[in-house]
Amino acid sequence: MEDKTYLSIAYLGMIFALAIWTWTVVSRSRNMEQRIIAMEESLNIKPSNADSIAELNAKNEE
Amino acid sequence: MRVKSGEIILALGFLGLMLTLYLAFLWAPSVNINAFESPEAQRIFYWHVPAAWAAFIAFAVLFVGSALWFFKRSPLGWKLHIAGSEAGLACGLMAVWSGCVWGAAEWGTPWDWEDWRLNSFGLLTLLALFLVLGRQSQPDGVESRDTFSTFGLYGFVLVPLTYVATRIWVIRHPGPVIGGDEDSSISGDMALVLLIGALSFTTLIIGHILTSIEITKFEQRMDRLQKKLDGE
Repeated sequence: MEDKTYLSIAYLGMIFALAIWTWTVVSRSRNMEQRIIAMEESLNIKPSNADSIAELNAKNEE
Repeated sequence: MRVKSGEIILALGFLGLMLTLYLAFLWAPSVNINAFESPEAQRIFYWHVPAAWAAFIAFAVLFVGSALWFFKRSPLGWKLHIAGSEAGLACGLMAVWSGCVWGAAEWGTPWDWEDWRLNSFGLLTLLALFLVLGRQSQPDGVESRDTFSTFGLYGFVLVPLTYVATRIWVIRHPGPVIGGDEDSSISGDMALVLLIGALSFTTLIIGHILTSIEITKFEQRMDRLQKKLDGE
């Protein structure tokens, strides 16, 4: 095989890997959002973005 | 479902990478065939250098996030720590893999254990791998966050060391082509493709960092819901 063929395979492999990684991150984000919204609505809980570990640490330090 | 800003930035970065790929293969000028063992393999630099650049940005985000968590207990700091380690791992692996491909073609070996640049960058990528896998295998808590943040803080020492490595200890890895000595220069067309690559990779990791911050927020919302359901 020519140099450019090897290079094409390497490049396509990397683009493919990045595409999979990007797709995984986006689909994970969307799935989680859907599940959380459904749970919060069914349990009638207000959405909160607070970090429970940081809050717990702040309480312990007081 | 609404499209978020992080996803739009991710898509733009990805399109930019496709453009870089096209330009690197079909538009960028060829190098002097007598100067290289494998002249065509040189085209991988349009991917390798921007990936390494983006990895350094991600490691800087990791450092800032680790410092914000460790010293200020900032929730945003912890989110940046997670996003920086994940983006650093992805871009670090891209740079290492593309470097190995070029090394195999040009040097006849994919890795040189005596080269400072290769090994310090490899260590940085391994540090990111440790942080990503470690976080997933440990329960979230102040102690585990402190431990991982400490690694994020001290590991950043490797970034300037890696940056200056090819200026001080030139062993096998080529010296800098931009901002090096008077012999280090590239043609305008090559610099343009490299710039498009760097901008695309930077856009991609900004999109990833924003999306990762969003995922961490969802994980924390999920954690609160779980605690509510458990009656805590």
